[in-house]
Amino acid sequence: MTETLQTPAATEDRSAEVSVRDLTVVYRTDRGELPAVSRAGIELRAGEITGLVGESGSGKSTLALSLLNAVPAPGRIASGSVEVAGVGDVTKLEGKRLRRVRGGALGYVFQASQNSLNPLKTVGKQLLDLGRSHEVEDLQGLVRRARELAERMGLDADRVLDSYQHELSGGMRQRVGIVLALVLNARVLILDEPTTALDMISQAAVLDIVRAVHRENNLATLIVTHDMGVVSEVADRLAVMYGGRIVEHGPALEVLQRPSHPYTRALIGATARIVGDTTRARALPGRPPDLTTLATTGCVFRDRCPLASAVCEEEDPALVEWTPGRYRACHADPTGDRP
Amino acid sequence: MIEARNITRTYRTHGAFTGPRTVHALRGVDFTLPKGGAVSFIGESGCGKTTLGKILTGLETFDGGELVVDGTELSGLSPRRRAPYFRRIQMVHQDPYSALNPTRTVGQILGDPLRMRAKETGASRREQEDRAAELLELVGLQPDGVLGKYPHQLSGGQRQRVVIARALTVDPEVLIADEAVSMIDVSMRLGILSLLRDLRERLGISLLFITHDVATARYVGEGGELHVIYRGQVIERGPTDRVIQAPVHPYTQCLLSAIPVLRGIEEPGPDRLVPLASLDERTDTPGCLFAPRCPFATDACTAERPALVRLGDGAGGADDPGGADGAAGAGDAGDHRHACLHPEARHVVAVEAAV
Amino acid sequence: MTVTATTPAAAVPARPRTGRRAPWASALRVLVRKPGRIVGLAILVFFALMGVFGPYLYPGDLAVDPEAIYAPPSAQHWLGTDFAGSDVLQELVVGARYVLLTAAVAALATVVIGTTVGLVAGYHRGLADSALMRATDFVLTIPGLPLLIVLSTLWSFGQPLQMGLVLGVTGWGGVARAVRSQTLSLRERGFLEAARGLGLPTRHVIVRELLPNIAPFVAMNLLLAVIQFIGAEVALFFLGVVPFSSSNWGVMLNQAVFSGGVMNSPEALTYLLAPLVCILLITLGIVLFLDAIDELFNPRLRERS
Ligand SMILES: Nc1ncnc2c1ncn2[C@@H]1O[C@H](COP(=O)(O)OP(=O)(O)OP(=O)(O)O)[C@@H](O)[C@H]1O
Ligand SMILES: Nc1ncnc2c1ncn2[C@@H]1O[C@H](COP(=O)(O)OP(=O)(O)OP(=O)(O)O)[C@@H](O)[C@H]1O
Ligand code: SF4
Ligand code: SF4
Ligand SMILES: [Mg+2]
Ligand SMILES: [Mg+2]
Repeated sequence: MTETLQTPAATEDRSAEVSVRDLTVVYRTDRGELPAVSRAGIELRAGEITGLVGESGSGKSTLALSLLNAVPAPGRIASGSVEVAGVGDVTKLEGKRLRRVRGGALGYVFQASQNSLNPLKTVGKQLLDLGRSHEVEDLQGLVRRARELAERMGLDADRVLDSYQHELSGGMRQRVGIVLALVLNARVLILDEPTTALDMISQAAVLDIVRAVHRENNLATLIVTHDMGVVSEVADRLAVMYGGRIVEHGPALEVLQRPSHPYTRALIGATARIVGDTTRARALPGRPPDLTTLATTGCVFRDRCPLASAVCEEEDPALVEWTPGRYRACHADPTGDRP
Repeated sequence: MIEARNITRTYRTHGAFTGPRTVHALRGVDFTLPKGGAVSFIGESGCGKTTLGKILTGLETFDGGELVVDGTELSGLSPRRRAPYFRRIQMVHQDPYSALNPTRTVGQILGDPLRMRAKETGASRREQEDRAAELLELVGLQPDGVLGKYPHQLSGGQRQRVVIARALTVDPEVLIADEAVSMIDVSMRLGILSLLRDLRERLGISLLFITHDVATARYVGEGGELHVIYRGQVIERGPTDRVIQAPVHPYTQCLLSAIPVLRGIEEPGPDRLVPLASLDERTDTPGCLFAPRCPFATDACTAERPALVRLGDGAGGADDPGGADGAAGAGDAGDHRHACLHPEARHVVAVEAAV
Repeated sequence: MTVTATTPAAAVPARPRTGRRAPWASALRVLVRKPGRIVGLAILVFFALMGVFGPYLYPGDLAVDPEAIYAPPSAQHWLGTDFAGSDVLQELVVGARYVLLTAAVAALATVVIGTTVGLVAGYHRGLADSALMRATDFVLTIPGLPLLIVLSTLWSFGQPLQMGLVLGVTGWGGVARAVRSQTLSLRERGFLEAARGLGLPTRHVIVRELLPNIAPFVAMNLLLAVIQFIGAEVALFFLGVVPFSSSNWGVMLNQAVFSGGVMNSPEALTYLLAPLVCILLITLGIVLFLDAIDELFNPRLRERS
């Protein structure tokens, strides 16, 4: 461990569309401002799908929202930067310029977006509203592009544009969310739990679509989920989050095959699988932390970690590149042996 | 033991936009749940799983068929006489957030049904309190830690354990778990599943496990049966592992193909299958319910609705359509049934990657 | 069949039944969290005390001092005197009981009847629901004011109880409807289905499971009903629709305007303003206090901090 980096170095030839550095986001609570995201770094590159996994409350949505500088009150970005190619540091933007970036260069599909459509307006009307709020001149062109995207996703475009939210199934609404996120030619697509409320068949269909539009538009895509299966289906890179920190980060296949952080290992081990020995699988001990129970010194995972040792009590491990392209934040040995 | 024979439930709705509509939530469902056994129902959203669970717990009525609990046919009884039978069947809800009254502590939540039960068993105050503690320990919680807590002070996994403990207060014989883990944190799902398995093995409680995540059905223990339900009809059933490894109905195959593959550890199954279209309840299907989406549909499929038959009895040989021959075949590896005119075993689920 | 514990329940010390804080302690915490709530509560307590003890402070009849008609405020008459030379403060204090008791009785009757009807109708649905809602619709159409005028020819309304009951019995329709719709939406919640599935008695389900969940809503309605009924009742007296039989704030207002000629003698201003300010203060007190209701009844909000 020689180098302590917060952000994977952009050594590869793919250009970074978004690079997050040293980002800390806090929420104001009765006990003062507590960090939901701590010194996180991540890069989204064109042509690459990054999966962000972690338990509920680990700060995934908060991190994703900070990419738009849209953390809701009582939260705020306390430090760090979010550089978006061609736009600059989003955390410095305000007002109209910020609104133009949201939904413009950065397309966002909200968690539970099945329910985030306006129930009183047809999808088409909401599309036009979106266009007007971004001062699109050519509304005809906008509708045309939305039609194309919708058809591309296996939707009957005319019917969908004329529909109200309640007339669409969960899977269809999720697709509409993606259409609206991409219609303004976003280069970055952020999906927060896009399949959580869907059944397996709809989930597979939505993931297929995400993969296809990602490839066709050479997007930089971030997919936030708590489901290891989902990331492993679509992601090229995988970032694992726990207690507001990114604890492991690297190429998805490698991380899944040879997880280097005890939490990643536990998360994979706790996944219900369709093959293999059911008795080998284990739930994680303890409960996921929230802002108030999060350790303030030492490693945030130590209460539930099978490898915790004395040093973990005192020192918060930093995210370091332990082998080219792979990052981890843990004092123990990457193979899972005790330090 | 409970036995369902040809249960049907039809809803007639009058939507403000859609006009009058008939939904066949259940079209004749049969199953037998022996003591300590497990039957899992899997299927897409809206195929009638929750409706079935509610009917079995007495929260919903059925309009055809027969429900037999411990040898007693329930439809012949008055609602008052039915109640004690339904009490033996308890529900574990999908959403542990809404399944517990936010204004009551865990002690009160367990205390109420225990007090009611004490009127029958004559348990003293002290015994009731001990029982509450005992049940919490049984479900893996520290009584001292949680008795005085309100639901919002517990994690999702802890809440679901309290829900299970509450169901156990009335000494049920059957638990109905409707998506019991889908809203629980990933890290804690297996814990709840192994608790359900323990309850089966140690206490002989039977389990009706409802889910759309097939993989979880493997974790509720040995000897389980898997029923695949589509638009209210069971279209394939058999021993859990057998149906997962060698499904013969194209719908089951599509469902199983949709399970994400953990790349790196697993490889996709060789015969993965995708349905031709997404589910549209409005299309009229006189023949096979799955025909509009089935990659193997033939003319025969749209003409005739296949009934559930034993595998090997030949397509269309509807000699035993009900499959209501009771407990005899419950765990039998040979009792694999399907409702397809062209059944063919395919391997669609992931296989473990060679490391 | 009985489930037995697998972990021996050994070494379990006498366990506390609940580890909650005493309810009044957490209620107090909720109140001190925002100063406005304390002010609101203080105002309400002050007027409640005035209603209870007011009449005992000034036993006997109103002293009439013909020497001092419309006297300005002074050490002897803090709020001055009225057209007959009676002390305004005394009238105010003595008159509080009638007004407050009537409003309290009316509000209580409204909320008790409305909540019961709403809960039963919403929980049972079906026949009970249709019957009760028909009754509710009927009550909603009863014109309160004309009915009171008619009734006042039969009764004198000298007793606050009578007037309160008449106001309350004719006013519960809105609360019943609102409670019913809340109940209907709660009915499908998991914990109510579970209670039914466990076979818990209906009364338990309604009183222990449903009621606490709509309690903040009911309490809010109760307080708002108090404001509404004070207004209604004072208006009735002010307009002179109901014959006066005792001194109260409504009567004071009526006399200030119609007998006292407040319009042309500015000295009488305190006579007019005193009851008005009291009514405004009570309204303010209730509004300030309302803010605490949600937290008082919701354990999640209560224990925050
Ligand atoms: N508005 C808020 N006020 C206070 N704390 C908040 C707020 N929003 C989120 N938090 C806290 O911040 C932490 C991170 O929340 P976040 O929503 O980012 O988690 P998540 O990983 O997206 O979880 P989930 O899987 O449940 O969506 C949690 O502990 C949460 O309780
Ligand atoms: N009370 C009702 N009135 C009308 N239709 C209903 C009612 N309850 C259920 N349905 C319909 O019956 C069908 C089966 O619903 P059910 O809730 O049992 O499905 P499910 O398999 O549990 O789905 P999910 O996986 O989404 O929970 C659906 O089409 C649903 O719309
Ligand atoms: S730093 Fe220590 S406690 Fe944290 S994950 Fe590594 S070994 Fe476990
Ligand atoms: S009966 Fe025909 S349409 Fe139906 S599942 Fe079998 S092959 Fe497909
Ligand atoms: Mg989230
Ligand atoms: Mg359901």
